[in-house]
Amino acid sequence: MGRRRWLMVMSVFPLLAGLAAAQTPGKEKVPPMTHVNVQVLGPQRIGPLPPVDSPPGSPTSSLKIHLGKELYFDPRLSADNTVSCASCHNPALGWSDSGPTSSGIHGQLGGRRSPPVSNAAYNPLQFWDGRASSLEEQAKGPIQNPIEMGNTHKAMIKTVADIRGYAMEFKAVYGEGPITVQQVADAIAAFERTVVTTDSLFDRFVRGDRQALTALERKGLEIFNGKGHCTACHWGPNFSDGRFHNLGVPAKDPKNPDVGRYAITKNPRDMGAFKTPTVRDAALRPPYLHDGSERSLESLIDFYNRGGGKDPNLDPLMVPLGLSQHEKKALVAFIKALNSLNPEVADVKPIAPDHLHK
Amino acid sequence: MKKSLIIVFSMVFVLLVFSQTVSAIPAFARKYGFNCNMCHVAFPKLNDFGQRFRDNGYQIPGQAGLEKTVFETAVPIALRTTAGYSIYGNGEGTASGFHLYGLDLLAAGVLHKNISFLFVYTPGLDEPAGNYKGKIPSQLASLESANVVFSNLIQDKLNLRVGRFEPGFQRLSSKRLFYILQPFEINKFAGTRNSFEFFANQIGIEATGRFNPGFKYALGYINGSGANPDRNRFNDLYLVLSKTFGRGEGQSAGQRIGVFGYLGRQPTDFTGSIISPVGDSNGSQDRTFTRLGGDISLNWRTFNLQATAFRGLDDKAFNDIDSARDYVFYGGVVQLDWAALADNRLVASLMYNWVHPSDEDRVHRIEAYSALLRYYLGSWSAVNVALHAEFTHRTVGSGSLAKENLFTFLLDFGF
Repeated sequence: MGRRRWLMVMSVFPLLAGLAAAQTPGKEKVPPMTHVNVQVLGPQRIGPLPPVDSPPGSPTSSLKIHLGKELYFDPRLSADNTVSCASCHNPALGWSDSGPTSSGIHGQLGGRRSPPVSNAAYNPLQFWDGRASSLEEQAKGPIQNPIEMGNTHKAMIKTVADIRGYAMEFKAVYGEGPITVQQVADAIAAFERTVVTTDSLFDRFVRGDRQALTALERKGLEIFNGKGHCTACHWGPNFSDGRFHNLGVPAKDPKNPDVGRYAITKNPRDMGAFKTPTVRDAALRPPYLHDGSERSLESLIDFYNRGGGKDPNLDPLMVPLGLSQHEKKALVAFIKALNSLNPEVADVKPIAPDHLHK
Repeated sequence: MKKSLIIVFSMVFVLLVFSQTVSAIPAFARKYGFNCNMCHVAFPKLNDFGQRFRDNGYQIPGQAGLEKTVFETAVPIALRTTAGYSIYGNGEGTASGFHLYGLDLLAAGVLHKNISFLFVYTPGLDEPAGNYKGKIPSQLASLESANVVFSNLIQDKLNLRVGRFEPGFQRLSSKRLFYILQPFEINKFAGTRNSFEFFANQIGIEATGRFNPGFKYALGYINGSGANPDRNRFNDLYLVLSKTFGRGEGQSAGQRIGVFGYLGRQPTDFTGSIISPVGDSNGSQDRTFTRLGGDISLNWRTFNLQATAFRGLDDKAFNDIDSARDYVFYGGVVQLDWAALADNRLVASLMYNWVHPSDEDRVHRIEAYSALLRYYLGSWSAVNVALHAEFTHRTVGSGSLAKENLFTFLLDFGF
């Protein structure tokens, strides 16, 4: 073998390694799908949820959580005093709504379904398209969305500040000074971090109570983590990879399709991709998918069993599953076993500080 | 015989009783916490997800760079072994006995984003290999696979596999199908003086990729001498093209059709040849041989019909029977699998093998009819155990046929 040939051979391997490792997209201001959530390398095992941490520099307190809860349920944050956070993220409806998509002030309909607030604390990014990187950032959005609460931050702050009870509570939590949007968002986020579902039949089962799941539910768990391919995306304690996938959901308006994550990243791979929602409490909040197009768990599983919908950007994880009727029934049973049994999560609407209204 | 059966059933009973508490994990399942059926119709046969996982360099499809490397996980080692009881009979008598039919040690994982490896070692055993047909009743030690995969070099359109690997033309991989004792008969078939084995793992480099919708290719450049050092200055070349219609990869969904071609050269004279320090030689009088064929995989519900067939043509220099003519043969496999019960716990399969050499070599004509049943004791991410019953009726030659029957009942154990 000549010297030149040796050099060629010796240079091929570093070149290949470099090429393989350097598969990075071009210049993008916002990280594309494949670059978010790298701090949580997965898939990880399904299991009980860990405790929720407060964000650095924003310690939580029972008073802050109480304030956040009042704000969460208060429709006066909206322009016409009709829509609260809880209107679309209703605890009685699995912290979502009855869909298929959410309605805001004046009965306006949005294009997407309300993502559940329960366990949202575990999401690395918020909203279906991940445009908010924290619960605080998320909480600010709907207030000034013209379709949702239709308010302005300035008007909302004035409304809140004019309610003496809120003024006193904000002072107790945040000290002297004017109430800010950041404080409102911080309080709501603190409350939302308490909306976690740590107790379900599944959690009891994996903690050692082997009788917690029925034989059918155990079979469903087996399929969920195997033949059903569910844990390919719905992995980890929150049953969500926090990433974005195109399932081929048919566009309701083909001329103006919802581009999903692409709107944020401009990465063609994110076209039509939406965030994986948690499966915990999923049985409590039909309909399903980002546009609420699947009415029941059964029809949702049929959708996946077909390998999803048609889309040129369909996620490679989507393949037909070949599930039998019995296997689908077992899957539904298991998903219902993920319903929360936490008494504190079965919440009641708090008494707003109306009696202190000026 | 009665005593033997009692022992077998006792082993099965013990496994059934204690199977729920088993806690060991095969390499990939251990990494992800998935059950076997995430990637397998039922192990070892890959489903569509598993095929995409393999194609993507043992990374979750579409998730390259977003999962742990081998440096962040437990040691990625797994083993597979099969042990059981066989009864063999031909026209002259019957023989039977317990055997450990083989042991594979596997390691695989991701080294870095889009760089992964596979390593399969079979240690030497004083027991027959699963597809034992030779004279020495032992599994010879072999480094079956040792390769590095560079994935997504140009998106999913170019991946490279370097080292010893299973070539892409082996669409019906005998290593990932259910049969353990009955090999693909065309596996080792060639002209009487040609040592090439079509289904052997090979050393070299292979490029693979896919183009939507459903079109895949594999292009390989290999020694063509299996596990042995190269024996001529020329390497062999193959090309595989396939197209899948519908969803999936044709493994468990979608309908796949493919064609392949293999062009090889083997020396016929080693007189005066040199041997390099690593064992390569430069034999002379190289002669060509080709394999041209196709394969198909059809799916309906949990039924899968797979078939592959090809025409082998070896230069007349390989033909001891009639040295004036090229040696031509036809062969193939048809296999029908059915996965039944919840989570594919039961697998039933029928398989037909044939090799039809040209008329002057009728003595090597082979027909084999096989059937099997496999029952999986569970679907865990920790371990998998299958009860496996396999029967083959095989005939060799034509006219005065040599007939033989082989029945095996064994445990297939993946750990």
